[in-house]
Amino acid sequence: MQKLFSSRFPGGVHPTNGSDKALTSGKAIRAFHPQKVWISMEQTPGGKCSPLIRQGDAVKRGQPIGKPETFTASVVHAGISGKVESIREGQAGSIYCAILADAEQPARMNQASMGVADLSAYTKDQIVNAFREGGLAGMGGAGFPAAVKYSPKKPVDTLLINAAECEPYLSCDNQLMIEQPMAVLNGVRIMLKASGAERALICLEDNKPEAAASLQKVLEQLKESVSLEILPTRYPQGGERQLIQAVTGREVPAGGLPADAGVIVSNVGTAKAAADLLLDDEPLTSRVVTITGEVNDPGNYLAPVGSSIQELIAAAGGVKSPQNRVILGGPMTGNCIAVDYDGKTELGFVTKTTSGVVVLPPAKRAESPCIRCGGCVKVCPAGLQPWKIDFAQRREDDALCEKLDAAECIACGCCSYTCPAGRELSLHTRMARDRVKQILRERKVQK
Amino acid sequence: MNLTAPYLRTNRTTRSVMLDVCIALLPALAGGTYFFGLRALWLTLFSAAVCVLAEFLFQKLTRRAVTVGDCSALVTGMLIALNLPATTPFWAVGVAGVFSIVVVKQMFGGIGSNFANPALMGRLLLMVVWPATVMQNPLPRTLPQDAVSSATVLNAAKAGTEGGYTFWQMLIGEIPGALGETSKILLLIGFAYLCFRKVVNVEATAVYIASVLALTFVFGPEGLFTGHILMNLLGGGLILGGCFMLTDYVFVSRRGKLFCALIAGVITAGIRIFGIYPEGVCLGILTANCLAGLISMLEHRHVYGKTEKA
Repeated sequence: MQKLFSSRFPGGVHPTNGSDKALTSGKAIRAFHPQKVWISMEQTPGGKCSPLIRQGDAVKRGQPIGKPETFTASVVHAGISGKVESIREGQAGSIYCAILADAEQPARMNQASMGVADLSAYTKDQIVNAFREGGLAGMGGAGFPAAVKYSPKKPVDTLLINAAECEPYLSCDNQLMIEQPMAVLNGVRIMLKASGAERALICLEDNKPEAAASLQKVLEQLKESVSLEILPTRYPQGGERQLIQAVTGREVPAGGLPADAGVIVSNVGTAKAAADLLLDDEPLTSRVVTITGEVNDPGNYLAPVGSSIQELIAAAGGVKSPQNRVILGGPMTGNCIAVDYDGKTELGFVTKTTSGVVVLPPAKRAESPCIRCGGCVKVCPAGLQPWKIDFAQRREDDALCEKLDAAECIACGCCSYTCPAGRELSLHTRMARDRVKQILRERKVQK
Repeated sequence: MNLTAPYLRTNRTTRSVMLDVCIALLPALAGGTYFFGLRALWLTLFSAAVCVLAEFLFQKLTRRAVTVGDCSALVTGMLIALNLPATTPFWAVGVAGVFSIVVVKQMFGGIGSNFANPALMGRLLLMVVWPATVMQNPLPRTLPQDAVSSATVLNAAKAGTEGGYTFWQMLIGEIPGALGETSKILLLIGFAYLCFRKVVNVEATAVYIASVLALTFVFGPEGLFTGHILMNLLGGGLILGGCFMLTDYVFVSRRGKLFCALIAGVITAGIRIFGIYPEGVCLGILTANCLAGLISMLEHRHVYGKTEKA
């Protein structure tokens, strides 16, 4: 009974019936070998790096090519071995390094998967240092540098490994746990040591029984306090704050970090990357990307950072129908990067945080007046009243938005999903959130 | 085409919600037609037509977007008729319909912006201005038409006398009353459909009905604890009101809704016990509607990560 009450967060929705994830289930991760990669020097918004290479240089896979310029940036490495073809400015002013692949690529070692690794040689500081040099960043979405995350200002007692993968359609984390349980667990052990926490919990939703079984088999060989936490499937279970609430019953204070609640949360893909980094000396240069939805051959691809999304969609058999929307990331929080995509134009490139590309059918939905059904209030995991914030934001009533705690919006999209009137509640609440946060910052500066 | 996250949206629309309510009302309408004759059906169709037309014309004349396609006017029209006796003149139903849609709904900003349930406001208008049209409750046509007075079961419950109807008659609807309120089983079938479709939930309805029954039982006609529970439950419009009018979307949060239901229950019971009318459902729910805004302002909400201020 204790369990029943503790593993909950308020609100949330069930956007699909499970057929979305079934599109890619049972399909092994395929390696994607591009002829050319375009690596962004801004892997996350605001995380700027400056290039360390010049046109014509020969680079090896794993060689650092970008130096962090900002607090939220991490080192960028070459995703493939080859020759630097050009360094040019791309969309939104960010710099891309184009690398032409050599015919021969260096082989990968696979120590990370070879049984329970001996970690006694590493100290906490050494691990955090390796995270920094290896460019390890959160692969779940925000891309926050792991070296910063694992140097918390407050002591933490719990490490949560986020394997909820609550976004519909995406299955990269699930497939990784099924195929590489040992590497994942070695990564978790490394993170546990780096965090100084007493225990690590790998949190999965109950729609991933295969991944849970795969991890469980290996878990029995461990001495550390690492266990599985199976949670009832509900979006946004994998929202960092919701996961903390669901598993520990704690809340991250408004404006604070998970460490303020004594917790560090890392994505399961990041854990695998940590194992590759420490045990195989492979920096973060590739990741698993789910290409799914209305494509002819949906699947998961191990793609170097900088892989072309256009080429990945082509590798997945191309789009099924000329009427479509291409979503970068999950369908609940991602970005629409193309409408009615025909496969002929460049769509951007894989970054450390690209979890998937989902091709969805077009949707026609007009906004109509709010009918006060209260649905958005019921599903909001942050406890907000999106319909009120929506009205306030449209009137540009900043004071009311602030009073309605718009700053606490987590942009999960549940409100818009559930609205029978088709209102863009999430969009307007996000706009209100950004505005209120800006006001709060300005007020702080004035003081 | 929505090009902002989230890219998945529910299949539910305002129109599908309203059509679900219409479907849920059909069994009760069939019951009313059986017990009170075909006039009940014509009255309901007329009322629905008046409401839809009034909304269409008002929006055309004021050059607003026409929203009759969302079917909310259809629901209002059906509810007005179901809340009136089958003998109500057509003109009175027409007046109530136009008043509900034009004055109560559209003049306050249209769907979602009305302060109270338009159908109940329409009924209230008739109660106040032309009481004779809505206070005469005909006997079901399946009963011998010898009784001159058509006192409802609630009159009897209020006076503390026998209602003169069996439990079974009250349950299936073979009693005098508004054309849509008597067939309790059919109303509950419709309500079960709405709950199953998750259009409404049962909580507020349960609080409302339970509070009315508890209060009318405790403060009975012959002193404490002498009220007649079954007559209060099945004799009037409690089930129609609780299942289809109280649950109308006017309040938002769950706790606010339950509190409103309780207020509606207290006022309904108060009118049934102390008022000049035997029935208090209409006024009870309308009062709670009007207090909803105030209640939601007073209510404390927990926002994730915010510490409570002492």
